[in-house]
Amino acid sequence: MKIALTYVVLLALLIGAVGLALLVGHGSLADPVLRSTLLGLRATRVGAALLAGAALATGGAVVQGVFRDPLVSPSILGTTAGASLGGQLAMLALVSGSPLASVAVSAEMVLPLGCLLGAGLSLTIVLTFCRERTGTLTLILTGFILSSLFLALSSFITSLAQDSWDMSRAVVSFTLGGVGGVSTRQLLAVLPLVGIGIVASWLWSGTLDLLLSGEEEATSLGVEVGRARRWAVTWVAVLAAAAIAVGGNVGFVGLIVPHTLRPLVGVRHRRLIPACALLGGAFLVACDIIARVFPSRSELPLGVITGIIGAPVFLVLLARSQREVSHG
Amino acid sequence: MADRACIEAQGLTVQRGNHVLLNEISFSLGAGQVVALLGPNGAGKSTLLKTLAGLLPFSGELRLDGREASQLDRQERARLVAYVPQHSALDAALPVRDVVAHGRFAYRDVWGRPDQRDDAAIERAMELTDTRRLAGRSFSRLSYGERRLVLLARALATEARVLLLDEPTAALDVTHALGLLHLLRDLASRGALVMVALHQLNEAAQASDQALLLASGHLVSAGPAAEVISAEPVRRVYGVEIVPAAQFGFRIPAGKDSSP
Repeated sequence: MKIALTYVVLLALLIGAVGLALLVGHGSLADPVLRSTLLGLRATRVGAALLAGAALATGGAVVQGVFRDPLVSPSILGTTAGASLGGQLAMLALVSGSPLASVAVSAEMVLPLGCLLGAGLSLTIVLTFCRERTGTLTLILTGFILSSLFLALSSFITSLAQDSWDMSRAVVSFTLGGVGGVSTRQLLAVLPLVGIGIVASWLWSGTLDLLLSGEEEATSLGVEVGRARRWAVTWVAVLAAAAIAVGGNVGFVGLIVPHTLRPLVGVRHRRLIPACALLGGAFLVACDIIARVFPSRSELPLGVITGIIGAPVFLVLLARSQREVSHG
Repeated sequence: MADRACIEAQGLTVQRGNHVLLNEISFSLGAGQVVALLGPNGAGKSTLLKTLAGLLPFSGELRLDGREASQLDRQERARLVAYVPQHSALDAALPVRDVVAHGRFAYRDVWGRPDQRDDAAIERAMELTDTRRLAGRSFSRLSYGERRLVLLARALATEARVLLLDEPTAALDVTHALGLLHLLRDLASRGALVMVALHQLNEAAQASDQALLLASGHLVSAGPAAEVISAEPVRRVYGVEIVPAAQFGFRIPAGKDSSP
């Protein structure tokens, strides 16, 4: 009953956030000339925020299950930094007029493709190290090293981008996160990735539940732990790439959304994952509303808002879980 | 008493780097009995149980229920051998019934749907371990003793012929320890091979049919429990004397429910 009610509330939150996001923002819907254009633009933004939020929160639930640690986020695997670097390289190629950027795909698809390739590259490296008898510590260390490497390269690209005002603006905007410039085609390209990532993660729910017993016990119960981990890492990489392709670097969603929902829907992934998709989507749509209506000279970056909201929320959740541990 | 061989080990050796944890262990055990695995700390009891459960790489020959262990896939092995560790890594707020249902993972189809046989096995396992009363509670909120029973129920839900338990009575009060040993005997009488690592020799003498005595990774003695837990092997391995008549002991009163 409590869980059903939670789902109803989550659905209501999502519908409310989407409705509000369509109604508010610059420009008046009362103008019949502008109405359809404004609604179209806002709908694309809402769709991007929805997909990115759902993808990041689901990825967070999966990665927290794999590592048996509610305090990790999808970025721990290095695939997020890989996708981000891929996106930046794609932008660099696009602005510098590199033939690579225009050979096979249209300009607007270069960024999502770059994110996918970046995530794919880091996934390949992670999977190379994530063999049958590799422990989670190796996985964490590999992710940490990859993240550090890709962040260093991203910083290098950001410094290179200073030569061009347009380029530096685009790179900084991408780094800080935002769903403002997403096109319908980009959204449609990312939609199946998010769908596949969420459904696949949900289908692996039972295995993720067993991984909560640790590697040895899960193995003794019949789980091919190495294989399960490799697939879970793959779904997280797909979700991270999709989220970054339409939302840029947005932090904390994958960390706080699953953490918030566990006391409400429980730790079973079959129930947690759909709830994460709903709340993650609603949360990022709500953050995007704040980004648009906050009185400032230019639009607030989405990553800044999720950080400002996410960090204190995370600290509260952390304090609460610490209190539960100390009180038994 | 002993059925056809459930576990046959020949020259079983486990190494970690240059350190030999188990050295050329050979034994054969049939179904329908409780086998105590004895030895001082560091003798290799947990290593042997983990090896039999397929958690450690080994050299030598190992046959489970007549089949070469290396030929079994992970799920086949889980249906054949159930393992209850001394310390479980599980500390999640999963409902108890879900934890027991994890014992059915190796039977699930690709969609993970339980069927009637799964439900029956789960109910039976919970009934045998008297954990039905805990079904709706969160595993992370259970006491240590209750957790051990739930983990045993999870192992029983696998319906495996071989049950491996690593020091199941450690940290249990005398009532629960006696109840648990009684349950293990009951499971053996229903046809299971129950292999249980124990520290307390008096518990082992009372509860087991056969015993394997390990020391520093070697199998020192194997055979009927009364022979293995006798003056000479015990003095040799533990360096202590057996007191023939214990001044006092414990048992479950006749007629009292022995559920742990």
